[in-house]
Parts: sequence; C-alpha cells; structure tokens
Amino acid sequence: MLEIRDLSVFYGQHRAVEEVSVTVSRGEIVVMLGANGAGKSSVLRAAAGLLPVMNNAAILMDGRDISHCPADEFVEAGIALVPEDRAIFADLTVLENLKLGAYPKRARQKERENLENVMSLFPKLEERRRQKVRSMSGGEQQMVAIGRAMMSAPAILLLDEPSLGLSPLLCGELFRSLAVIRSAEIGILLVEQNAKRGLAIADRGYVLENGRVTGSESSEILSSDERVRKAYLGGD
Amino acid sequence: MDILIGGILLGGTYVLMALGLQLQYGVARIMNLANGEILVAGAFGAFWFYSGFQANPFLALIVIVPLAFILNWGIYRYLLSPLVRRAKSRGQLEVDSILATFGLSFIFVGLMLAVFGGEYFSYGYLERAVIVLEQPYGLNRIAAFCASAALCIALVLWLNHTRSGLALRAVAVNPTAASLVAIKVARTSALAFAIGGAVTASGGALLSMFLTFDASIGVIFTLKALIIVILGGVGEIRGTIVAAFMLGLAETAVASLIDPGLTLAAAYLLFIVILLVRPQGLFGSRS
Ligand SMILES: Nc1ncnc2c1ncn2[C@@H]1O[C@H](COP(=O)(O)OP(=O)(O)OP(=O)(O)O)[C@@H](O)[C@H]1O
Ligand SMILES: [Mg+2]
Repeated sequence: MLEIRDLSVFYGQHRAVEEVSVTVSRGEIVVMLGANGAGKSSVLRAAAGLLPVMNNAAILMDGRDISHCPADEFVEAGIALVPEDRAIFADLTVLENLKLGAYPKRARQKERENLENVMSLFPKLEERRRQKVRSMSGGEQQMVAIGRAMMSAPAILLLDEPSLGLSPLLCGELFRSLAVIRSAEIGILLVEQNAKRGLAIADRGYVLENGRVTGSESSEILSSDERVRKAYLGGD
Repeated sequence: MDILIGGILLGGTYVLMALGLQLQYGVARIMNLANGEILVAGAFGAFWFYSGFQANPFLALIVIVPLAFILNWGIYRYLLSPLVRRAKSRGQLEVDSILATFGLSFIFVGLMLAVFGGEYFSYGYLERAVIVLEQPYGLNRIAAFCASAALCIALVLWLNHTRSGLALRAVAVNPTAASLVAIKVARTSALAFAIGGAVTASGGALLSMFLTFDASIGVIFTLKALIIVILGGVGEIRGTIVAAFMLGLAETAVASLIDPGLTLAAAYLLFIVILLVRPQGLFGSRS
C-alpha cells in the first residue's frame, strides 16, 4: 500500500499542495479530481520521489518510510509514474523503451513475462517494436509510456491524465486496459480530466481544491455529490 | 586513391577522440574543452612507456585506459558534479562547464609542460612501409587504425547490446525519464564522463604512434573532436563515426592536393558550412 501523509509541495514561496493525505492499495483504482492548477500533478510527482518531501510529511510504501530516498528507490519500492508529459525516450525504439522499463532490479527477473503481458495488453506495440517512439502517434506514445511503467513490475501505478489527446475510441480501450491492470493486483492512482469516465472505473476518489483535499469518498457517492457534479461532471 | 586510404586511416583514429567527447557531451552533458589535453596525456603515456620500458603502445593502453578512467571520474565527481547540481537549466550547465573545463585545459598544459618540457615528441614503433594498392603506408598508421576500429566496435556493441549501455543512452535521451526507470542518473553521467575520457586517452595513445606532438597541441584536437561531434550530430554515434572519416578525408585531401598548412583551415571551413546549412548535424534529428 502507498501512503502519503500530510504532503505539502512548495514552488519557491508558492504553496501548491497543502497537507494532502492519500492512500492507494493494490488492486484498486483511485481517482483524483481537481481543477487546473489544483495540485494533482504535484502530488503524483512527489509520490514518485521527484520532489523534496518536508519533514512533517511522509511517503510510505508497505509501511516503509521512503520520503527522503532518491527517485530510483521509489521505483525499486514499487511505485511507477507516467507523468503528464509521458517522459518516454523519444529517440529510442519501442522495444528499448520497454526494456528500460525493466531496468529496476525488482523487474529484471520477470522481464520476459512482463514484456509478454504488455504486448498482449497493447498489441500495437508488438507490431511497432522496432520503431522509434518519436515517430508514433500521441495515443501510441501513451501506450509506450504505460507499457514502460508496467515493465517495472509496479505495485502502484501513478497515471497523470493518461487519456489526454486520445480519441474516444482509444480512450475506451485505455480504460479497459486499466481494468485489466487492476485485476493483476496493481493499485492505480489516476488523475483524469474526464471525470465521468474516471469515476466510472474507480473504486474511490479524492477531490483536490487549491492544493487541499476537500473530499474523499467512494465513487458512487462522489458521482452523485452535488458539488462534484457541478464542478467536474458538467452536470446540472 | 592514396588520398582515400590515407583519409580513412586518419579518420579511423579520429573516431575514438570524437566518441570520447560524444559520451561526455551527449550523456554527461559536459562540453569538455579539456578533451584534447586528455588525448595528449594519453599520447605522453604511450611515449613514456615506449621510451622508458620499450613497451609497445598497445600494452601501454592496459595502463592508460584505467588511469584515464579514474582521472576523469575524479574530475567529474569533484569538479563538475557541483556544477551539474547547481545548474538550473541545460544552457547554464553548458556555459559553466565550458568555463570550468577551459580552465582545466590550461592546468593540464601547465602540468605536462612541467613534466615533459616544451619540445616535440615522437617515437618510432612499427616504422615500416606497407604497400597497399601500389602505394606505401606506414605500418604504424595501419596498426593504429586497426586498434582504433576494434575499440570503437567494442564500444558501439556495448552501447547497443547491453543493459548498462542502454542505460547510458537513456540518460542521453531523457534524464528525467531515466530516473523514472530507477537509473541512477548522476552515477551514470559520471560513468559516461569517465569512459569518454578513457576512450579519448586511448585515441591519443594510438595517434602518438604516427603523429608528432607537444604539451600544448591539445587544443587542436579538442577543436577537431568538436567539429566531428557537431558534424555528426550530438548524441549520434553513427553520425560521429561518419563525420570522423569525413574530417580525415578532407584533411588528407587538402594536405596532398593544396597545402599541408591548410588542413586546419579546411576543417573549419567544413565546420562553418555545416553550422550554416545543417546546425543539428548530418544525422541529428533534434531541432
Ligand atoms: N515547476 C513549477 N514551478 C512553479 N510552479 C509550479 C510548477 N509546477 C506547478 N506549479 C504550480 O503549482 C500549482 C499546481 O500545479 P499542478 O501542475 O500540480 O496542477 P494540476 O492539478 O496538475 O493542474 P492541471 O490540471 O492543469 O494539470 C499551480 O499553481 C502551478 O502553477
Ligand atoms: Mg497536471
């Protein structure tokens, strides 16, 4: 289980995230909703070890405090991030990107098995294995990014707006793959602009406003919540 | 024909120093202006082993390569990594590292002047002529070329077919993404810088088999390596190899057809034309 306790993120003097606490367990999908600039990406980046963690805050993986470890140890602990900009290796091939995903020590032994799983999850990648990622479409690049994260044998997957720029058809495909990933006992923390889709697939959700958590409920309750409907579902 | 073969022999020995700079600049993001001095230090090493112990330059490599690796690792660790940590952008790191390594190059020149003095050095190992297609070529040149090719092939195979080589290329392409797959970026950069220095020094040891050199000639090789790297495209291994041969051919052609004094001028001309026409290099894809 990934546990984020009282996380605050500062950019210079500006406080982007204030004492946010979030947990994600294996085998569940947790969605994080929030307006632009609410601090969603900042929470995910901190949870992947890319931002410094203040003293009173803590990030724990299966009970172990990893707050002050470098980013590579977050990956070794089982946390894989697909950031907003995807962070793929554009000048390398699909296969090289996926191989790099299995660079963490925890992933090396099961590299072949995980590669097969990723290829069956995204058959497109099998066809394009020798293609440079730079020359692929946005949707295909997103598959490479998620596939690469899956290659590191994560316990918890952090996804920052994975459906960004995907057609409705591809988007549906993506969400079906997320359900498959969840059934493999991997936990997913999902930041999603498409709140309707996000809530439909998620088990639980958090609402983030101006860097603070203002709601933490099951998906059903959030979907019927008046404020959530107004703000994120464009409902009446 | 003799221009072609002579150019290939020369270019083949340029490949190593250019690949060395390419590793340092492409992966560790340090534009190392002391690259040429490392090369000259490798040349002095080979000279010293040959004149002191009658050891041939290939044997000398066994000592020179690890020494250069350690020296360059130390330079990165203690001089350059503070700059890397401080730099807020790639542009700032570029400026800082150029200034730091430019200063370093003077320190190296001073040290080598103090130890070896200011005269020209050369030695006669394998100084026999070999007839290739009815033209004589120095056996030392041919041997240096073969050794250089072997090292270069080993380096490329390592980069393309091993996990650690792939990790090096990953850092070159995208350091943030590299840290997201648990690659230790700082350590990998130090490794790339150290290997780059070792490759450059072995290039110097091989060049010393047929070139006359002195303590302050390093800057010329820094510039040649720079020309090759820009010509081939930053981060482009294939481009670097092709560009090294192009420079070798261009220099040989100018030296034998026009005037040997114009070789450096020819190299610059090539450089300026490329900068104007294709600033990303012949094979570079980055904008
Ligand atoms: N690198 C940065 N430097 C300075 N301020 C930043 C930086 N990144 C984010 N911020 C600020 O932090 C706040 C939260 O940003 P964050 O990217 O976490 O929001 P978000 O919820 O992901 O937004 P979006 O939905 O637009 O992606 C914003 O006010 C933003 O301006
Ligand atoms: Mg965001």
